[in-house]
Amino acid sequence: MSVNAIEALGFTPSVAPVMPAGTEAVNGSSQVTGAKFGDMLVEGLDHLEAVQDKSDRLAVQAATGDLDDIHDYTIAATEASVTAQLTVAVRNRAMEAFNEIMRMPIG
Amino acid sequence: MGAFDTLRIASSSLGAHQTWLDTLASNIANVNTVTSTDQDAFQAQMLIMRESQGGGVEVAGIAVSDPAGRLVSDPSNPLADADGYVRAPEMDLSSQMTQLVMAQRGFQAAAQVTKDAQETYGSALQIGRA
Repeated sequence: MSVNAIEALGFTPSVAPVMPAGTEAVNGSSQVTGAKFGDMLVEGLDHLEAVQDKSDRLAVQAATGDLDDIHDYTIAATEASVTAQLTVAVRNRAMEAFNEIMRMPIG
Repeated sequence: MGAFDTLRIASSSLGAHQTWLDTLASNIANVNTVTSTDQDAFQAQMLIMRESQGGGVEVAGIAVSDPAGRLVSDPSNPLADADGYVRAPEMDLSSQMTQLVMAQRGFQAAAQVTKDAQETYGSALQIGRA
């Protein structure tokens, strides 16, 4: 069945998807490909914690006079700051997506 | 390649130039260090840099100048030998000062790279932001 006029607007007629030969159609939405978003977020948070730990350690060294190179600390601090901003940006975007779905009228 | 490689590479450059500045500071501090003729002269340090495997730069080693130095006539010096000679380091102060400027400019250039990298990361974070 083809409905050219509305297909052009992005409408896809409700027909059974044509699967490539050799694959079985899976019912429901349990089909997951690639890394899960939650896992990626947890990984990001772990990384954030690691860089912030490093930055904190160097900050203590700077305070106690044990810091060998000034740029070691400033660069670690920059890395921690940018990583924090990135993690927060990803989290905010995820919340936006969630709220958008919650607002979706059903029925 | 990691997300912060620009910073890591710039950091390696900052480190190498910092070491260069340290050697120059030591050389310039010892420009008037003389020794008696039966001892080695102060050996000026010369930094050798090379490309680092994972990107960036690293210090390959530090070469030193000839321990024979230069024989300078200074009879009033308490270290002077019977003929009135002392051993001065084999080093040129004007060359050291020139290298000091080069090391400083190199350090500043690497610092500028970190600044630009930060701005670039900032632009990436702005993508899609309302």
